Amino acid sequence: MEIRIANRIPEIEQVCEKIEDFGKSIGLDQKFIFALHLALDEILTNIISYGYDDKKTHEIIVNLAIDKGSLVMEIEDDAHPFNPDQAPQPDLDTPLQQRKIGGLGIYLVRNLMDSLRYESSHGKNKLTLMKQIKNDDASN
Amino acid sequence: MDIKIEKDGAINIISVSDRLDSNTAGDLEKKFIPKIDAGETQFILDFAELDYISSAGLRVLLHAAKKLNQTDGQVVLCCVKDEVKEVFEIAGLAPIFPIYADRDGAISAFY
Repeated sequence: MEIRIANRIPEIEQVCEKIEDFGKSIGLDQKFIFALHLALDEILTNIISYGYDDKKTHEIIVNLAIDKGSLVMEIEDDAHPFNPDQAPQPDLDTPLQQRKIGGLGIYLVRNLMDSLRYESSHGKNKLTLMKQIKNDDASN
Repeated sequence: MDIKIEKDGAINIISVSDRLDSNTAGDLEKKFIPKIDAGETQFILDFAELDYISSAGLRVLLHAAKKLNQTDGQVVLCCVKDEVKEVFEIAGLAPIFPIYADRDGAISAFY
């Protein structure tokens, strides 16, 4: 399934609703769908909030597929290159007062998905997220 | 997202419904932070109707918790759905935001 959206925050909810419908249609349980939804939301929020300097409309393409028992989600954009491997680690152990607020989004994505792969070429970024579908992730 | 703010004695009870994400977190911030700036110190976030939270929502809560920490204030959560609770756990925020099963339990945290 392919979904194309413009780089506007309110569009994230629409794409996430489609992802939820897709997940339900193939029988994934609520917990798995929640994880997909949250991971995609975090990635799209990052791209849209920090990826562009201009005010122009940019297209972001989300692809969803099942491959060898895993859910594979690809996100393609023409924003500034952003490698999640270089994202700062969130500050989870520091006392609240000294804690920096940030880096939480990518940290959540890493914990929700099994793998993240980032590629950048010809001004395009492609992020591939994978999550294995285990037997108990199916709702029926 | 709907935000409802009630008062029980000195305690501010903020009920948030639906989704707390990059699209809606700013609305909560605009209602929550000014209360702290106005000197309020006791807050309960009632998440009974909240289905979803992302890091944008967590960021607002952390911002509020940081400010409250400076004024010896406190924010606790109640009635949190399992999926939302798990986000707090994954993010390592469970120690900062005590979660109570119901509103009465959350209120008792302040006495």
